[in-house]
Amino acid sequence: MMIFVLAFGMLILFLTFGIWFAAVLDGVFSRRLSGQSAVGLLAPFHAAAVYLTQQRLRTEAPDQLNWFLSIAGYLSVAAIGLAVVPFGPDLAVIGLDTSVVFWGACESLIVVLIFLHGWSPNAPLSLIGAYRYVAIGLPIMLPSMFVLIAAAIPAQSLDLREIVASQETMWNVIRQPLGLPLFLLLGLSLTLRGPFDYADSEDLAGGTSAEDSGANRAGWQVARLAMLVGFSAVASTAFLGGYLGPVLPGFVWLVLKTLVVMATVIWLSHLLARMPVARMLGLIWKILLPISFLDLLWAGLVALA
Amino acid sequence: MGRIGGTGMTDLIFYALSALAIWSGWRVFRVDSMIRATFALMVSFISVGGIAVLMSADYIGVATVFMMAVEMMVMGLFMVMFMMNPAGLNPMQMVHQYKFSIGAGIMGFVGLTTAVLLTNFPDNPLPENRDTLRDLGIELLGGSMLIFETAGVTLLATMVGAVALSSRRGRFGDSDVGAAPPGLHPGGEPAGRKVEKGGGHGGHGGHGGHQMMAEKTKPNSNDDPHEGHGNMPEMEA
Repeated sequence: MMIFVLAFGMLILFLTFGIWFAAVLDGVFSRRLSGQSAVGLLAPFHAAAVYLTQQRLRTEAPDQLNWFLSIAGYLSVAAIGLAVVPFGPDLAVIGLDTSVVFWGACESLIVVLIFLHGWSPNAPLSLIGAYRYVAIGLPIMLPSMFVLIAAAIPAQSLDLREIVASQETMWNVIRQPLGLPLFLLLGLSLTLRGPFDYADSEDLAGGTSAEDSGANRAGWQVARLAMLVGFSAVASTAFLGGYLGPVLPGFVWLVLKTLVVMATVIWLSHLLARMPVARMLGLIWKILLPISFLDLLWAGLVALA
Repeated sequence: MGRIGGTGMTDLIFYALSALAIWSGWRVFRVDSMIRATFALMVSFISVGGIAVLMSADYIGVATVFMMAVEMMVMGLFMVMFMMNPAGLNPMQMVHQYKFSIGAGIMGFVGLTTAVLLTNFPDNPLPENRDTLRDLGIELLGGSMLIFETAGVTLLATMVGAVALSSRRGRFGDSDVGAAPPGLHPGGEPAGRKVEKGGGHGGHGGHGGHQMMAEKTKPNSNDDPHEGHGNMPEMEA
């Protein structure tokens, strides 16, 4: 019980500061890359205050329940995804033997929730964003599943705690070099960023969140950042050895690695351009998916050798 | 899952999940939109997955959630794609074949209830640290491999079929050549923008001609919404 309380407290701290830091980092990268001066540490709070003081607008005949549930669900799934990450040996909020599959379940629910977020307002631009996202969000999950299974092979377990323990001698990012890059692409898709932002992009005037205003908009943006935190923690656990590291306590190592992954995802999202949907589909099915098969094959052969 | 708490807590969660599964399963037949029905069904399946986790079948439970979320998303997408309703948000009648479905429902309920009451369920609690995941893997790739692989190949064939059906390109040319949208009411005129006034969609082709007509009649079709404005509140309700 004490361990659960400790882990839960760490989770809340991790998520809260992670969201704030992700927002700051996002601002810094976008402004630096466009040649403007850096932003302050309080900028996310100002943005949140502006959203929260705005009134909440309704569309014509929306599905209010699903609209609300999609925002709340996106945030909760991000927190649930973070909950399977071990903060230390045997220090995970949800200690499941199948935590990798559990994370996979979170991934697939995210696609559903983002779709619902675009579908519920009953408005054209958000609906286009929703359908477009499903077309990309579903297939990009397949490579991520295969690289996660590959990461589970050396550990001979679907438990993220075992997967971290198996990286004691060598991190998965070195052992399976194709894994992390493919998984980062999934991160871009789950957090609706850059080249995989088919849901909330500028060309649809905000896409699924085009009709969000006031607290709804603040909630959705917070959920996106929370998802970024959760994803980065899972990525650093599966591929960068999680809490493993010399001298410093395990939790600090996990935070540092999460920050590195987070910065990389944000950097990629501001740097890479977005392709048309049809070309992206071709890229995912014809190139990324076979590469992930190679990654799995490699992991299997190494395990047999 | 002793980790969750005592027996009382597990029972409570079991009843809550069962109630949610039944309620959302009932909602599938009461809502008026394909997307709502799809995701109500998903909630029902997720509750059943939760019950499987309670019964120490971690993998089956979690994989149910994982699979059902993806499957229901794909199912919703395909239903909307094959139906005339472009978004799935417009209200529509979701129930049909009343007599057959009532009969099938009663049969299913009686059959399953009989099976539940007559089955002699094993009463041997699992040891604390039994690796159910390993047992399942050995079973799937051992004794049950033929069943498992048959189901897998069948599903794969279904997927290929679905993709072939929904693809625009086909052996006999593009699938939408000569297609007209269905009417708004049975036997009515095709829905969508009217290309020309007064029916007459016989067989007089000539694409250029159609375009000319479309441009000519454009002002008329813009007038239509104003004339029918009285109907709008009805459609909202």
